[in-house]
This record gives sequence, structure tokens and C-alpha cells, in this order.
Amino acid sequence: MASTYAVEMQDICKSFGSVKANSNVSLNVREGEILALLGENGSGKTTLMNMLSGIYRPDSGSIYVNGQQVSIHAPEDAKRLGIGMVHQHFKLVDNFTAADNIWLGEKEGGPVLRRSRYDRIDEMARKFGFEIDSRKRVYNMAVSEKQTLEIVKVLCYGARIIILDEPTAVLTVQETEKLFSVLRKMKAEGHSIIIITHKLNEVLEISDRVTILRKGEYITTVDTASTNEQELTEWMVGRKVDLNIQRPVVEKTRPLLEIRDLTIRSDEGAVAIDHVSFYIRGGEILGVAGIAGCGQKELCEAIAGLRPIEQGQMIHKGDNIVGLSPKEILDKGISMSFIPEDRLGMGLAPSLSITDNMLLKSYRQSNGPFVDRKRGREEARRVIEELEIVTPSTETPVRRLSGGNVQKVLLGREIKAGPNVIVTAYPVRGLDINSSYAIYDILNQQKQSGVGILFVGEDLDVMMALCDKIMVLCHGKMMGVVHADKTTKEELGLMMTGSLDLSHKYEDKPAGIARDTLFKEAEQ
Amino acid sequence: MKRKEPLFRVVKREGGSPVRLALSYVVAVVLALCIGALLLAMQGVPVMQFYQDMFTMGMVGSRYPFRVLEGFIRLFVPLLITSMALSLAFRMRFWNIGGEGQFIMGAICAGIAAFQLGNTLPQPVMLLVIAACGILGGGAYGLIVAALKVRFGTNETLLTLMLNYIALYLLEFLGETKADWNFMLSEQSARPVFAQFPEAADMILFTIGPFQLNLSLIIALVLCVLVFVYLKYTKQGYEIAVVGDSPNTAHYAGIKVGRVVIRTIFLSAALIGLAGAFYVSSAGTLSTSVTNDVGWTGIVVAWLAKLNTVGILIVSLLITVLQYGCQAAGTAYPSIDANFADMLQGIILFVVLAADFFIRFRVVIRGKEAVK
Repeated sequence: MASTYAVEMQDICKSFGSVKANSNVSLNVREGEILALLGENGSGKTTLMNMLSGIYRPDSGSIYVNGQQVSIHAPEDAKRLGIGMVHQHFKLVDNFTAADNIWLGEKEGGPVLRRSRYDRIDEMARKFGFEIDSRKRVYNMAVSEKQTLEIVKVLCYGARIIILDEPTAVLTVQETEKLFSVLRKMKAEGHSIIIITHKLNEVLEISDRVTILRKGEYITTVDTASTNEQELTEWMVGRKVDLNIQRPVVEKTRPLLEIRDLTIRSDEGAVAIDHVSFYIRGGEILGVAGIAGCGQKELCEAIAGLRPIEQGQMIHKGDNIVGLSPKEILDKGISMSFIPEDRLGMGLAPSLSITDNMLLKSYRQSNGPFVDRKRGREEARRVIEELEIVTPSTETPVRRLSGGNVQKVLLGREIKAGPNVIVTAYPVRGLDINSSYAIYDILNQQKQSGVGILFVGEDLDVMMALCDKIMVLCHGKMMGVVHADKTTKEELGLMMTGSLDLSHKYEDKPAGIARDTLFKEAEQ
Repeated sequence: MKRKEPLFRVVKREGGSPVRLALSYVVAVVLALCIGALLLAMQGVPVMQFYQDMFTMGMVGSRYPFRVLEGFIRLFVPLLITSMALSLAFRMRFWNIGGEGQFIMGAICAGIAAFQLGNTLPQPVMLLVIAACGILGGGAYGLIVAALKVRFGTNETLLTLMLNYIALYLLEFLGETKADWNFMLSEQSARPVFAQFPEAADMILFTIGPFQLNLSLIIALVLCVLVFVYLKYTKQGYEIAVVGDSPNTAHYAGIKVGRVVIRTIFLSAALIGLAGAFYVSSAGTLSTSVTNDVGWTGIVVAWLAKLNTVGILIVSLLITVLQYGCQAAGTAYPSIDANFADMLQGIILFVVLAADFFIRFRVVIRGKEAVK
């Protein structure tokens, strides 16, 4: 029976301290099959796969490869057994070419760099339809190219079982399509693929079967053909969830924040935002879409006063805010929250308590030389209650909270300050369905109370459901602003890659400048 | 295929109680003393007698027990203030290892004031001037590094380290150059020797019976309370915590990070300079070994105490007892000298670090515990 599976894991348990990451999880993949591994954050998907690729060792349970029981002690063992994993964070040497990165991990490579190393990769790429330049250096590669390289790498090492950890998180719609067609080709070649994701539509599109984990426990495995999004969500979350994101209609006010002809440079000195103009009204959510690194971060930082701008105007309620300090911008009621990849880098002090983090922007307001912790504790208690943050106490360091709760603390503080403009980047980054919806609700409440929101997001489906309008950036240039309920994913995808430019669609009206602006040119 | 299990695994422990924590530190110190006892016994030194002498610092049986205590205080005060000052910088993740240099600069500046103003001022005023000179001397020396870091992003660890040697050799230069301009040397001696301070520059001593209480001890203890309150309750202390934890977040929250760095490092270095001034004033002269290594020992103290102000008070007391006691007890045994204190101190540090590991983790031996 077991021999029919390429990989079989039985009753796997793994704990870290007293935390059970996996308990009695079983999973199997046939040859030439794509298995999706689905679960919320912290449900143990990555842990399970790390045990298959030799990074962790299971506390108990057994693993079979092609019917043979094996013990995988190190990544080398996994490699020998033909198991390859593409990690969420790429493991590449930036200064090396694509070919050299692959050569680096090869046993038979020998001490001499041969020219043939380029040919092998080109051949591999032709076979599966990859687009990759074997002589290109990694630091010149886009994210999707790096990912392709990682996949080519595991194929070159002879992997028959390939694990992909959230591969689509960094890709555009078109790139995802391309990846999926490659995966299908690999499947046809007889490779077994395990893909970790929490995007349900992708699961339904690509996989043959789905294995679902919840809080480290095995829930079920189903055939993709016989299931649907609603059913998968219920298994994943453990109860019924309304999958519709609300988009309340709100009376819009005049523009609160206008950006005109803004140009910003990145840390490296390259132009990160290139002559961009747009505006946000009160009571609306303006989405910002774009592939990673197209200037979203620089834009957010510039609005918050953290990054000097090269040229242009930023007008808040009729006042130019260019050149103001972060504190002065804060005092005007502009709140910026940016969730970086590591989630804690900006906006929170991870070792400090929730109370102290609540006070981060307001501790100066109290009189005298002392910090008013009583008020902070009071605010912390209220935010914990209102946003249902799970924490032992108000004095717990933020670092100890789980991802969703950390982000709630951050948003909770921003909203407590009573801003009139909220700039928020990736507020649901890495969050599971439950926490994400909680955060959408918070944003909608703010919108209904007349706040203007700039929402920098990753998931186009979410942005199309939540935002009123979506602005698309490509390499720092604005490709246009579209109505979220009238656009399509394909249109957005084309704009994100720069193939479609709608910014000059209405030649009679300069892009991004509102007619009923509060800002009079004469005031300049 | 047989499943192999490693010989032992390291498992993370869930939150330990403070009692456990304190207990394991006590055990660690006792363990270190046991190792020390072994070494003493190997050299034929009576262990119990030695430890007794060490912990009582030779006060028992001494004809002048209070002199011993006064000497102890002279060593304790600089270490306490320096450790506390270093913890200020360390809390901001600013690796100030320039305690030595800042201490020396404070001492030199205090010395200049003492020699130049001589007996022209009454003692209390003179002491204020000396303290101010120490603060400015040490503070300015630290300020250089902070300003360079803020302005050019230089590495503070390297700079503070190198500045230590500049300060040390400046002091040696002053101490060994016999010249007309050098007012710091004794005129009576043909060899270059630092002169005695004029009496007005000596530290005020309160006579309580046979015991003379050094004013600097009282000030040091007051400073302890002030630093504790400063770090824990004030806005500036809060800013230090935020900057230390995440400079990005601090910048984002509108805190002027550069200003906080410069202010805190000035404060840290100034306190160390003050310690230097107090020390030379208590000793009544300068010397090339004026620091007694407090700049280094202070780092050990600050980390052993986990940058906790109360902890620093306890640890610096313990370390001073160790050093001063070893010196006192060593007089009876030719094979033991002050170096033994340093070694014992090293062993304690090592064992406490190990204890730290066992507080946070526990080791599970193969087969001893069913794998769940």
C-alpha cells in the first residue's frame, strides 16, 4: 500500500518546548501529483515540511520515501532521497550567477568551474519552459527570477519531490500563472509537488488533493475536485466564516491628502517614486497595488516624514507638509503603519510591553518629566478588549505575541490616536483568515467615520473587494487609478508589470489632481 | 531501519519564577567558590581560613577594622558608579567599552582643577568644582564618539576602545614627564611622581566614632536611585528603551534618535568621569593605575546584573568584596595575590552564564523522558 506513494509521513509529532507544532500529522503524495498543504498561521505547515527536508527532526512518527522507511537527519539526506524545498526566503548568494549558485551545492561539481555549467541549466530551463539566464547575477534578478532559480536548483540536484513554501506570496498574477504552468509540466514529468499556501483560489486551481492542518493537528485530506472554498475554510478555521469582505458606501468628503508630482529616491539613490500624483478623500480606501519593491515603502515613508523627497508637494487639508518632521506630521493626524517582512521592524518596539508600545507616539503629551504609564495601561486594556487581542497581560512584551496580535496592537494604537489619514502597508501580511478579517473590519470602521485610508496591499482579490479605488505602481511610476469594482485582476496585473498605462486615459484632466481641492495655488 | 535518537536534547523551559532565578545565581556563585577552593587547596592554602579572610576582608582581628572598610568604600564607589553609567549606554545598545578612558579623562580634569586652584577655595566649593571637571572631562570624551556615530555612523565599540589607550598614555605622559610646565608632579621628588592634592581638594569625610564615612558613597547611592527612576519612569528613560530596542521605530515615532544617543552617552560618560573625580579626590593624588580596571569590570558587573540597577548594586558589592578581600587575605599567603580575585571573578562569570543557560533551557537525556 505504502509503495504507491512517493512520500508518506505517518503520525508525525514535533514540539518546541511545550508548544506542539505538529501532533500526529499524516500526509502522502503520489508520483505526478500536486498536493496543497493548507492551514492558518502557526498551524505547522512549514514545520512539517522542514522535517521532510531535514531541517528539523520529528520527535516521533515515520517517513517513507517510495515505500522505504527513511530517517532524514540533515538536508543532505533529503537531497539524496530526491527531496528539494524552495523556501519562502530564498537561499542564494547574491554575487554569484545563476549557474554558480547551482554549482555551489553540487557534489560532483569538482574543484574547477567549467563552462558546461551554463549549458546544463539552459537545457533544464528549455525542458520545463523556465525563462532564466544562467549567466545573470542574483542581485540583478527580480523576485520571480530568483524563485525560478531556486526551483531549477532543486531540479538540478535531482529532486523528484519538490516542496514550495508559499511561492506565490511574492508574485504577480501573471507570474503566478507562469509558475503554475511550469508546475503542471513538472507534474507531467512525474515529479511530486507539495505546495504550501493559504490562498484558497490557488489551491483550487493547481492542486489534485488538499491536506489541511489546524493548530498543528491533521484535519483531513480531500480531492480538490470535490471541494470548494467555503468547505476548505471551515476545515481550516474550524467554524463557519463569512468570506465576503464588506465595502460600506460612505459619503466622501473633500480630499484630505493630495500628492502632486512627487519624486523620491531610494536608499541606493535610484528613483523609487517617479512623478506620482494622487489624492485620498475622507471615507474612502485607496489601494496601492504593485509588485514588491516598486516604491510602496518609499512612498509610505515620505508621507510619514521619514524620508526626504526630491521634488513635489504633499498637501494635507490644504497645508503643504513637505519638510515637516515625523512628529509634526503625526500631530496633523496622519498615521502611518508599515508591516515589513519581519513584521516588527517598524512601528513597534518588540521588547517593550504593550503598554509602552501604546505610548510610543503620545508619551510626550503628558506634563512633567515622567511617562504617564497609567494612561498607557488604560489604553492598552481598551485596545486589547476592543480588538480581542490574546495576551496574558498589558505588560507582556510585544515580541511574545503571535503575528496577528502584534499587528492588532499596532493598528489599535494608530486608531486610538484618532487620525484623519491612515497610511497602512501590508496590515494583513502573513495573517490567517480570521485575523485578516478582523483587520478589514477595523479599517472599514475607520472609513465609515470619515478617515481617508491609503492601503498598500499584496492580495489583489482582497484589494478589489475592500478598496474603493486602486492605484497601480510600476517601477515607481503611476500606471493609473481604477475603480475597484470595475477593474479585473488581469487589468491590474498588466498595469503592475507596466504593460498597460492608464494614467493618461483622460487627457483633459491631469492625472491625480482633484477638482475640488482644498489647496489653492495662490497660497504657495 | 532503526530510528536514532540523539544522546541528549536541549528543550526550552517555560517561564521561570524569580525565586528560581535568584536561587540558581546563588548556586552558581557557590559553585564558582568551590572551584576556587579546589585551586586554593592545590596550592596548600587553608581554604576555609582564606575564604573567611576574604569575605571579612581581613577586618576580623585587624587592629583598625574601620580603615579596612574605608579602603573598601574607596574601591566600591567608582565601580558602582561606572557600572551604573555603562548600563545607561548598554540599555540603548550603545557598546560603550570606553569606561577606562572616560574615567581617566575625568580623573585628569579633576586633577588639573585640584592642582591649579589649590587651596584658594573652601573644601565644599572645591569639591563641586572637581566634580564638575570630572563630569565635563569624561562627558566630552564620550561625546566625541557619540557625535561621530550620529554624524558619520562610525563604530562606537572600536572608537571607545581606542580612545581608552589615548587617555591612558596621556596620563602616563603626564606622570612621567618632568618639565617646568608640568604642575602635576611633586617638586620634592627628583623622580617623576604625582604630587599630593592640596587639602581642600580631598573628599569630605564624616567622622562617626572611629569610622570616617566617605561622602562619595552617599552620593553614589543617591545616584543609584536617580538612575533607577530615570530609566524606569522618565520620558528620557523611555526614549532610551525605544532607541535601544528599535532605532527605526524610534525614528518613526518622531523621536530624534541622534539627540537621544548624544544625550545618553554624554550622561553615561559624564557619570564615569565623575567616578574618576571622586576616586582621585578620595585618594588625594593621581596615579597611572587610577582606574583599577573599573572600565572593564564595570562591563562585567552591568551584564551580570542584566542592566538592572538593583542588581548592579548587589553585583558590584560582591565583586569589590572579592577583589579587596583577596588582596587582604592574600597578604598572609605568598602564593596568592590579587590575580586570584580576577580569576575567581572569571570563574563566577562563566558559571553564572552557564546557570543562565540552564534557567532558560533544560537538557533531556536519551530515553529518560518519553517523547510526546
